[in-house]
Amino acid sequence: MHPTVGLIANPASGKDIRRLIAHGSVFDNNEKANIIRRVLRALDVFGVKRVLAMPDLYGLVLRALEEAHVGLRVEFVDIPVTNTAADSRLAATVMAQAGVRCIVTVGGDGTNRVVAQGCHNVPLVPISTGTNNVFPSFVESTLAGMAAAAVALDVERVWEQAVHRARRLEILREGRVVDIALVDVVVYDERFVATKAIWDADKMRALFLTAPYRGTIGASAIAAYLPWAEQVARDSAGLYVELGAGQTRVLAPIAPGLIVPVSVRSVSPLELEQTVPIPHAPSILALDGEREVPVPPGASVAVRLSARGPYVVDVQAALQAAVEEGFFVQGGTERG
Amino acid sequence: MALSRETLLQLYEMMVKIRTFEERVAEIYYEGKQPVFNIAAGPVPGEMHLYSGQEAVAAGVCAHLRPDDPVTSTHRPHGHLIAKGVDLKRMMAEIFGKETGLCHGKGGHMHLFDPELHFGCGGIVGGGIPHAVGAALAIKKRGEDRVAVSFFGEGAANIGAFHESLNLAALWKLPAVFIVEDNLYAISVPKTASTAVRSNAERGAAYGIPAVQVDGQDVVAVYEAAGEAVERARRGEGPTLIEAVCYRFRGHFEGDPEHYLPEGEKERWKQRDPIVLLAKQLKDQGWLTDEEAQAIQDRMTALIAEAEAFARESAYPPPEAALTDVFVQAE
Repeated sequence: MHPTVGLIANPASGKDIRRLIAHGSVFDNNEKANIIRRVLRALDVFGVKRVLAMPDLYGLVLRALEEAHVGLRVEFVDIPVTNTAADSRLAATVMAQAGVRCIVTVGGDGTNRVVAQGCHNVPLVPISTGTNNVFPSFVESTLAGMAAAAVALDVERVWEQAVHRARRLEILREGRVVDIALVDVVVYDERFVATKAIWDADKMRALFLTAPYRGTIGASAIAAYLPWAEQVARDSAGLYVELGAGQTRVLAPIAPGLIVPVSVRSVSPLELEQTVPIPHAPSILALDGEREVPVPPGASVAVRLSARGPYVVDVQAALQAAVEEGFFVQGGTERG
Repeated sequence: MALSRETLLQLYEMMVKIRTFEERVAEIYYEGKQPVFNIAAGPVPGEMHLYSGQEAVAAGVCAHLRPDDPVTSTHRPHGHLIAKGVDLKRMMAEIFGKETGLCHGKGGHMHLFDPELHFGCGGIVGGGIPHAVGAALAIKKRGEDRVAVSFFGEGAANIGAFHESLNLAALWKLPAVFIVEDNLYAISVPKTASTAVRSNAERGAAYGIPAVQVDGQDVVAVYEAAGEAVERARRGEGPTLIEAVCYRFRGHFEGDPEHYLPEGEKERWKQRDPIVLLAKQLKDQGWLTDEEAQAIQDRMTALIAEAEAFARESAYPPPEAALTDVFVQAE
């Protein structure tokens, strides 16, 4: 069977309430189709013959194909389209079962979080079109396509040099993993999922991070701009931050154009496999910037940092390894 | 705009009220129309377009509106009017064509007008959108903090007046909120066959107004997004477009054979019944028991039965009334 690349493009990313309560950019679906088109062209040029894509109500991939002029074959996974996150999760599961070599995702933190629940050990090539975009990269999509081709065609040393396993935060209810986050978990003083986004710093009670992020936007920014946070994390740990009236206030960009003072009480390291129970109830856990898991009164919910995150392709490193293997050179690799 | 127990129970009750009203009207509608479907027969002649399944949108938006905030609606107006706070007796009487109805029996189901609630509707696709802009212009000129809301479907978003309306509302920074109820079908035409850029939330950018897409089956999401949009308008910050993705559980019209629906699609969407979804959220929080839910249902059933009895007992308008309220009367 030809090496196949999976493609999951989220039509819903970039349209939520952060366009209204903050200044989130509108990433319209024509632009997403353009991004996908560039990925398909790159895959085609480098010899990937088959793409397995997620279908959606907005026809993103079909629109991309219209002017892509590619020889490769695009098939769609046979799943019902519900226009919810379940589509991305199910598509990733089906793609993993079908043996795709990697999955290119087009979306934000939320998209990748959901894909990671289904993709098993298939590495992700994340292209960002979301709001905060901490997990996926602002990478030009032609390059992402080229990196995906290098991974799919098993170019030597690309896996070794460019594919890394990310960490994840696991949400445990009565001891069972019910959901995950790839960047952060915020304990938010609300009860309902509603429009999902979080934007009121006064309602943030605690924050879990998979790493001491630097220069980010979103909840992870609360620790990113504290000078001592990285030191606290040391090499292998994430962070646990308690928020609320305290000595320190940090000005953090918690959403695009929304920089607010956030009161920080304490910053502690979060070790791998360390489980922290959620003391605040009722509350709701926001995973990678989206309210997802309600914590009703009396519920037993905890968060655990784990090394079992998705495999992720570092596009620049993949391209570099591929360059060294002569992947981009036609004819001999001798100079002159 | 807290998501308090009181607020959410009000939303729940409103959705149950709308659903109960619609399902009872559906039963009444078929009286006299069987075995052969004669659209002119029975106590409710003419067409009928019911709102079952979309309750979260009307309830979530109208919860933020005052009686004097103008609302324009469509051929599927019942949900919006009930959520606006109409007297159910006068509404039902109008649907029955009785003289005690909102329009003295002359408008019927698709022409429900309530000047006290600043509510109007009609069957011209997209016809209400410019009306809301006109109302918003009047509000702005008067320096008031009222908001004009226009409900319409994703099919209506393709007509010229939609584009003209958004352009003017944006240009003049009017206190208007545009709600696109995207239920995937314009009668039988799927959006894939009618709309080039399929997310209407993206059309806001073409006019420079913020636009948001929300899950139209989740009343809490609609409530939250609509609240921000309405407050924005009241503060004088201009219009907003909200695209609520939802689904109608009944046909476009009563009698619609719905041959255009793919197999299993409606059953899948019915698993996201907005009333059931909110009930579950409320029960998980310990904010609603099964007994309380039943009590709400019983109260709504009684309310609608009262409205129905009033409508049936009311008289038809006399023939002499045929020319009243039709022409301007010279003083």
